[in-house]
Amino acid sequence: MSTGVPTGITSGFVSCEACGLLTKPVNVHEPGHCPRCGGKLELRRHNTIQRTWALIIAAAICYIPANVMPVMVTSTLTSVEEDTIISGAVLLYKYGSWHLALIVLIASVMIPLAKLAALAYLLITVQRNSIKDQRERTRLYRLVEFVGRWSMLDIFVVTFVVALIQLQPLMSVKPGLGSLFFASVVVLTMIAAETFDSRLIWDSSNCKEEQND
Amino acid sequence: MTEKIDLDNIPEAAIVPKKRMRFSVVWIIPIVAALVAIGIAVQRILSEGPTITIVFKAAEGVEAGKTFVKYNDVNIGEVKTVRLSEDFTKVVVTAKIDKSAEGLIVEDAEFWVEKPRVTLSGVSGIGTLLTGNFIGLKMGKSKRPRHNFIGRDVPPAITMDQPGRIFILQADNLGSVGIGSPLYYRRLNVGQVIGYDLAGDGKALHIKIFVNAPYDKYVTNETRFWEASGIDVTMGASGINVDTQSVVSMLVGGIAFETPSLLKELKPADANAAFTLFRNRATAMAEHETVITPYVLYFNESLLGLSVGAPVTYRGLPVGEVTAVGLEYDQAKDFIHPRVDIQLYPARFMAHVKKSAALEEQARSESGRHVFMQKLIDKGVRAQLRSGNILTGQLYVAFDNFRGVPKVKIDWTKTPAELPVMPSGLEDLKTKINDVLARIDKIPLNAIGEDMKKLLAGLDGMVKRVDREVLPELKTTLDALKHVLKSTDATLVGKDAPAQQEMREALQEVRRAAQAVSGLVDYLERNPEALVRGKTQEKSK
Amino acid sequence: MSSSFIEDIVACPGCDLLQRIPVLSPGGKARCPRCGHTMAANKPDSLERTLALTVAAAITLVVANTTPLMGISVVGRHVSTTILGGVLEMWLQGQEITALLVAFCAIVAPTVYIGLMLVILLAVRRSPAPSWAGFLMRMLDLSQPWGMAEVMMLGILVALIKIAEMATLVLGVGIFAVGALIILIAAMMASFDHNEVWTRIRWVDEESQKMIASAELADIEGIRP
Repeated sequence: MSTGVPTGITSGFVSCEACGLLTKPVNVHEPGHCPRCGGKLELRRHNTIQRTWALIIAAAICYIPANVMPVMVTSTLTSVEEDTIISGAVLLYKYGSWHLALIVLIASVMIPLAKLAALAYLLITVQRNSIKDQRERTRLYRLVEFVGRWSMLDIFVVTFVVALIQLQPLMSVKPGLGSLFFASVVVLTMIAAETFDSRLIWDSSNCKEEQND
Repeated sequence: MTEKIDLDNIPEAAIVPKKRMRFSVVWIIPIVAALVAIGIAVQRILSEGPTITIVFKAAEGVEAGKTFVKYNDVNIGEVKTVRLSEDFTKVVVTAKIDKSAEGLIVEDAEFWVEKPRVTLSGVSGIGTLLTGNFIGLKMGKSKRPRHNFIGRDVPPAITMDQPGRIFILQADNLGSVGIGSPLYYRRLNVGQVIGYDLAGDGKALHIKIFVNAPYDKYVTNETRFWEASGIDVTMGASGINVDTQSVVSMLVGGIAFETPSLLKELKPADANAAFTLFRNRATAMAEHETVITPYVLYFNESLLGLSVGAPVTYRGLPVGEVTAVGLEYDQAKDFIHPRVDIQLYPARFMAHVKKSAALEEQARSESGRHVFMQKLIDKGVRAQLRSGNILTGQLYVAFDNFRGVPKVKIDWTKTPAELPVMPSGLEDLKTKINDVLARIDKIPLNAIGEDMKKLLAGLDGMVKRVDREVLPELKTTLDALKHVLKSTDATLVGKDAPAQQEMREALQEVRRAAQAVSGLVDYLERNPEALVRGKTQEKSK
Repeated sequence: MSSSFIEDIVACPGCDLLQRIPVLSPGGKARCPRCGHTMAANKPDSLERTLALTVAAAITLVVANTTPLMGISVVGRHVSTTILGGVLEMWLQGQEITALLVAFCAIVAPTVYIGLMLVILLAVRRSPAPSWAGFLMRMLDLSQPWGMAEVMMLGILVALIKIAEMATLVLGVGIFAVGALIILIAAMMASFDHNEVWTRIRWVDEESQKMIASAELADIEGIRP
C-alpha cells in the first residue's frame, strides 16, 4: 500500500478548531495559539475520551431520577397528582393526543437514551481502535450533535404549563425535581458531544498507516 | 447616394458599469421587522392606561401580576406591585389600569378588596373563592383624575349606581340598626342603612340611609321614620300593644317610614334631607303640634302609676300628655308636694270642635289661649287623676267638668302656669270600699240565719202535708180529666165524627173566601184603578 | 523556529483529512471526500445578507421577549406570560437551577448569538477587522448550539395543546415573534460564511501573516489538488 491518506496528525499539522487555519507547530503536543484567531491550538480535543466518558456516566446517573421523579405536580381542589415524563405522555395519549404523546416519548425518553448509547458506542469503538464503519460512525456523531438539543422539549413544556396554570385554589401546577435531573441529562449529553473528537474515529486508520510504515 | 460605412471607426458603445446596489433586497426583511416592532410598541404605548397606587390596611389575596382590578365584573386593570408602606403599617398596591377605563379613575372613586365576607345584609364575595380576590371599584362622580387612593376596608354599600336618594336620620343612639339594615315602607323593603357617624358635638348620631327609586319619592318633608326593629311591645294607659315589621327586621333591625295621611300632597324631600328617627311607630306618627302649652298640676295624692307620656284627656279625649312626674319642695311652706308637668295642645281642643275662624284665631294667640283656659276653669273644669288600666295600675290625667267647685284664677305670671286639680275619687273609692265592708259587717247575719232555719222547717212540714193529703186528690182529678179527653177524642177524631165534618165544611168556606180575596188582590194589582172605579167587567161567580 | 501555516489547505474537522478547497460557484458546497463533512460553501453576498437578517432577528428577539406569548382564561381568571415570566415562575416554584438552564437556552444563548453576529458583521464591513473580532467569532461558535428557540417553540405548542382542553387560549404577539425569530436565526446560519469572515479579520499574530507559506513548504504526499 502506498502512502496513506494525508491527515493533519500524520503530517504534523494542527488545525485550528475555530478558524480552520493549518499550523505546523514546532511541538505538536504543545502547539500554542493560532496565529490567526488567537485560540488555543490542540491536536485533538483535550482529554477527550476521559471527559466524554465522565459526562456520559454522569448523564446516565441523572437519567434514572429524571424518569422516576415527577416533573410536574398538579394540585386541584380535590387532588394532588404527580406526573413523570412517561406518565405525562400516557396522559396525553389517554386524552386522545397520541401524536403529542409520541413526540414527547421520542424526544424526552428515547433520544437521551439513544444519545447515551451512541456516545458510548463511539467511545468504545474508538478505544478499541476499530476501523470499521468509520463513515457511518462519523455520521452517527453528527446526528448526535444535531438531535441532542430536542430533548429539552419537555423542560420547556413544563416551564410554560407551570407559568400559566397558577389558579389557586382551583388548579395549580408546580415543577417537580424530575425536571432538574432531566435538564441535567440533556445538558450533560450536549457537552459530552462537544468534548468528543470525531477525528478519533479516523485516527485508528490514520495512525495505523503510520504504524505500518 | 449611400456613404460607405467605415467598419473600423464605429464607436464602441460605452459600457455602463453595473451599479452596485447600495442595499440589496434582503434589507427589506429587517425593515419590515422594524416596522412591525415599532407598530407593536406604539400600539402598546397608546393603549397604556394610568398607573395608580392604592393604600390598603390589609390586602389579602392581592398578588402582583395576578390580581385584577374590576369594575362591573369587567377587568379594567392589573396589580403590578404589592409592597409595605414605609412605616410598615399599610400595604401599597400599584395597579395599571387599561386605557379604556381611564375615565373611571377620578377623585372620588373608591377601591376595596373583594373577598368573601359575612355582613348584615348577607354573605358577599363568594365568587372570589373561584376567581381569586380582586380589587373592586366604585365609580365616582367627579371628573378630575387622580392617581393616589386610600382603599376602603369594606365595600361601599351601594356599588352600582342605583337610582335613589340618600337621607340623614338623627337619633340618640344606634339602637339595633346597623349598616345594611333594611328600610321599610308599607312593609316593602325599599332601601337600606348605608352608614352612620356621630354628629360633631357627639350628642346625636347621624344615620345615612339610601332609599331606592321609585320609593324615594314617597319621602316628603312630613315623613316620619321610626325604628322597626324587632317587636314593639308597649304597655300604656291604653293597654298592651304589639307591633312588628318583618322577621328580617326582628333579626337585623330595620327602619320604617310613613307619611301621616292627614296631610295633603307634599313634594318629595330633597336628597340628604334630615329627619328624626323615633323609637317606635306610635311616637313617630303622633301628631306633632305646632303649638304646645305647658302647665303644672299639684296633686295631693299618690302619683304611683302615672308615667311620663301618659295621656291628658278632656272628657275622655286626648288633648295633651304628661311630660314630668316628680316632687317639688315648696320653700315658703316648707313642704314637699307632688308635681306633674303636662303639655296641652290647644289645637286638639279645636280639632274636636267645629272649626270657626274666631276659635282658630284664639288658639293661635297666647292671650287668646289664656282667656280660653280661664273660661274653662270658670266653668268648673279641673284636672283629676284617674285609673286608666286596672291591670297595670296605670294612671292618667283627666280634665273634666265638676260642679260645685270654688272659682280659681289662673296665675299666668308663673311659668308654667298652674291649673287647679280635683282630688281623684281614688282615695274615696278606698274609703267607700271600707264603708261597704263595714256595713256588711253590721248585717245581723246570725239572726237571719236563725230565721232562715225556721222558714225551712216550716216548708218541710208543708211539703209533708202535701204529700199526704193533696196528692191523692190530685190523682182523682187527673183520672176524671183523662175520661173527658177520651170522649172528646171520639167526637173530634173519629172518621165520621160529626164535629170533624162540620170543621171540614167550615174550612172549605174559608178557602173559597181566601181565593176570592186572592183574585181580587191580583186584579187590583193589575188594575189599581179598580179600587176607585169598581170592577166593570167582573162577572160575579 | 516559529510555526508555519498554510492558508489554502485545510484539515477536515471531522476526519482530519488534508484537502484543498476548490473555487466554488455561487451556492456551491464542498464536502470532505472521506467523511462527508461540509468543508466550504459559497454564499453569495453573505455578509450583507446575514447582517440584514441579524438586524431583523435582533428586533424580533426584543419583541419576542417583551410581549406576552399567550394568555389563558378560565373561570374568570386571566393569566398571561412572557418567556421571562416562565423562567421566573420556575424560579419562584423552587426549581432555580432548571430556571437558569431554561433562561440560558431560551434567552441568553440566542441573544448572545445574535449580538455577537451583529458586532462581527459590522466589524468586518471595514476590512480588515480588529483581532478581537476573532475572539468574538470563537464565542459565536460556542454559543450557537445552545440557542434552542425552536425547541422552545415546540415546547410551547405542546403546553398549549395540554392547556387548551380546559381553558380558552389567547395567542399573544410573543408567540408569533418567536416563530419569526426561529426562521430568521435559521436564515442567518444558512447565509453566514465563516471563511469569508475569517479572511477579513486581522491576524492575532501579524508578523506571521506576512509569512504566507505555500504548498511547497509542505512536502506532503498525496494532497489532492
